[in-house]
Amino acid sequence: MTTTSALAKRSGIAVWKRQFLLQGCWNYEGMQNVGFAYAILPALRDLYANRPEESLKAVKRHLEFFNTQPAMGALILGASVRLEERVAAGDADPRSIGTFKVGLMGSLGAIGDSFFWGALRPVASVAGALVALLHPLLGIAAMLLLYNGVHLTLRRRGFDAGMKGPDEAVGWLKRAALNVRTDDRKLLAAILAGAYAGIFAGRLMVQGGGAPQALASLLVAAAAVHLFAVLFRKAVSPSEILSFLLFVGVLILWR
Amino acid sequence: MTWRFILAILLGGVCYLDRTAACQLMLHRPLVVATLMGAVFGNMGAGAQVGVVLELIYLARLPVGASIPPDDTGAAVFGGTAAAMSSSSIGLDAGSFTALLLLSVVVAEAGKVADRFVRKINVRIARLTAESVDRGDVQSVEQGLLAGLTLFAVTGMLLALVFSGAGVMVSRELLPRFGPASRGSFAILLPAIPLLGAAAAYSCSRTERTAAVFFLTMAAVFGGTVLLRWPA
Repeated sequence: MTTTSALAKRSGIAVWKRQFLLQGCWNYEGMQNVGFAYAILPALRDLYANRPEESLKAVKRHLEFFNTQPAMGALILGASVRLEERVAAGDADPRSIGTFKVGLMGSLGAIGDSFFWGALRPVASVAGALVALLHPLLGIAAMLLLYNGVHLTLRRRGFDAGMKGPDEAVGWLKRAALNVRTDDRKLLAAILAGAYAGIFAGRLMVQGGGAPQALASLLVAAAAVHLFAVLFRKAVSPSEILSFLLFVGVLILWR
Repeated sequence: MTWRFILAILLGGVCYLDRTAACQLMLHRPLVVATLMGAVFGNMGAGAQVGVVLELIYLARLPVGASIPPDDTGAAVFGGTAAAMSSSSIGLDAGSFTALLLLSVVVAEAGKVADRFVRKINVRIARLTAESVDRGDVQSVEQGLLAGLTLFAVTGMLLALVFSGAGVMVSRELLPRFGPASRGSFAILLPAIPLLGAAAAYSCSRTERTAAVFFLTMAAVFGGTVLLRWPA
């Protein structure tokens, strides 16, 4: 854990632990605001010890609207601690913290959503589902390890980079090259999802028969996947498709 | 049965906390939740079967910004419980399995409504916190967060109770009403559901170069599966 001179090590550790509760009071108005203020509070208490007025102002600063991808929030949190240290020492304008947070939360949110929800989670989910066909517990272990190995490492490194200051945080972001990692993981997710589709198409559609039937089954399965993917692109949700299938099922039972 | 429900409530509470309020370690994913619920209600394998399929279906809906995706955790609580209970009563045949997967959509949407409700109450908590801080009470930030966490946890436990109860009811009361023939005709829809999951994962990972990779892998694995089956 990287901590700066004015900040006690235990405060840095407390902030690190509390960042896991960034969304603890997620709400439609301030979104992660209460979580962010809660996470940074130990550092503020340390930096503004015996200065209750300034401490109060600092807490209010962090109760303003905040929303980003939760894992990427660690980086902004670390950098905000460092900025607060500069403000407490009189080296920076308090408004610079708000500007920094607002400037970074949108772009980091987009990068984080794309990487964590759009690439890493599908890889972990499909890999877990595939391994679970061998044994459920192995599948769960594979999914949790694949996701959290990367997730916790990036959280930790992002937080440490942030604690070294905003410049180092931005430098770390460039070095981390999350856009490249996103593309790589999306490719991996596509391969694993293809394997998943192939297994289920083979399991469910081939009921004996020769090569023509097998080929027909494959084509039907591929067409179904393509159709569903097109529907998703047209903003049809999985729930709507499942509801339609449920409706068809009820009609079958009715008949 | 009581201790099973107590265990389901506790595990459900932890999984629901992980979903939004704390950590996001993927303990709330359907594969984990449905397997756990299956184990609690007597058949881990049956729960996992449901979890494997549900895991992918809702991947296409991302929890971005203020949008709330369907409650796949709740769907897994329902599906895992119902699958385990069905396997010990009428047997988890293809028709029952299909029915459980399709009925889970109702649960997922109900859970989404509950999630939205919690976040609306949290607005009030956040406002009260800000007002207290304005009055000089810094401690209220910790109390506000604790209140939000408690609300998420209590709602999660309630949802786990309701959805696992619904799973037991469906497996005991609804599915046995339909004979094997009716359930068999319902099973016609089963092949579409895992493919919907695969399409969701494919949509998430879709870039210019992934389409060909996806379909080639699908064909190769399908071919391998068929070849392995033919000698039998």
